[in-house]
Amino acid sequence: MPIARFSPFELLLLKSRNQADTAGLLLLAWVLASKGHLADADRRRLTELARDFRHGHELEPIIEIAAQQDLGAIQLAAEVMQKDCCGEQAYPFLRQVIALAVADGKLASAHHHILRFLADLLGVSPSEFAQLFAEVAGKEFANPDDPSRTGYWQAKERHRQQQEHQQQERQRSQDRHSRERHSHERYSSGQQHHQRSGTGGSQRQHRHHSTQEPPPGDRTRRALAILGLEPGASRSEIRKAYRRLAQLHHPDRFFAEGEAMVANASMRFQKIKKAYDYLMQAS
Amino acid sequence: MRDLYKRLGITPQASDSDIATAIEACEHTALKADARTVLSVKSRREEYDALHATLCDIGLLRARLGLTHGRYWQDSVANDFSLPPDNTCSQHDELIGRVTHAVTLHNRWQRWRGPWSMAGLLAVGIMLGIALCHLLLR
Repeated sequence: MPIARFSPFELLLLKSRNQADTAGLLLLAWVLASKGHLADADRRRLTELARDFRHGHELEPIIEIAAQQDLGAIQLAAEVMQKDCCGEQAYPFLRQVIALAVADGKLASAHHHILRFLADLLGVSPSEFAQLFAEVAGKEFANPDDPSRTGYWQAKERHRQQQEHQQQERQRSQDRHSRERHSHERYSSGQQHHQRSGTGGSQRQHRHHSTQEPPPGDRTRRALAILGLEPGASRSEIRKAYRRLAQLHHPDRFFAEGEAMVANASMRFQKIKKAYDYLMQAS
Repeated sequence: MRDLYKRLGITPQASDSDIATAIEACEHTALKADARTVLSVKSRREEYDALHATLCDIGLLRARLGLTHGRYWQDSVANDFSLPPDNTCSQHDELIGRVTHAVTLHNRWQRWRGPWSMAGLLAVGIMLGIALCHLLLR
């Protein structure tokens, strides 16, 4: 009776000096490949990580298998990991996975779900895993975003617009600085003229001051930004945002967390209230 | 995350026109609005599809590894991406089974002195052939 052929990963596993390490490497490569492609930087990072593993074979086949997203191989690796390192033994491995996942700065949504899967697989409870994540990544393990909802895309759009806006603002302030410097030079040369001719200096000084004043509507824009709204928001939107933020930042909510937190919250609350009052008056 | 394709009753490979008709036919207003926002813009659909594929893979792995009731597998993700358990057995057990089978075959081959018996059979075959030739050519 013929035997079905052994797949490349099965052969690797049979050759391996330490099956758990081979399986762990495949899962690490899978985490990297789940972004869609494996960049050279990812390969280098994996090669560095592999130095501490006792697998005793080439790394290249593992990367290839992971790049193909071969589910059979990944399942086999997951079974080996589940069998060989469970609970506390899995902590070093999970640390490495978390470090890889947050290496780009932000945790991708796919990584969110993969990390949860690995935590469940290795029998690490959510509280333990959240603690582990906070230790490695230095931030909280939040819930993943939900791209199947409209809110996700609106928030993304808003974030992009804000960034563009900030960039424009920076550009404008740079322009203004250069213009000011320019006008200042002109002004100082005018002063020399003034010293010579005796007229015209005060007028120029006046104009110089007027360039520094904020353009009309700037205060409204800032107030809207405090409420997290875009320019052109309607009264009902402003009211809704105010209510939400007021509830969120009300000092009474922070009573249990000490005086400093209450003082902080009341400062934020004052800011929000002032912005709201101004907007209600203005519109 | 919800599986919009499943909830609209279409496949992830559906064309844009199929999606548009499915969205029109949908009676749930909130789902309709969300589906329109996500699936009718190409770049958004691509991003959604990438995550959708990953979640389908994870759903399959969880079903096969018996993790469909894991503590991190909750809410809409678990609702939409959990698969019923299928008949594929554990990959590790299968591997062990195949290795065992291969080992038995190898051992049997060695016990019957495989190489020598093969050579012996070959020699007998050649002798028979020669004898047959003799008989026929005489």
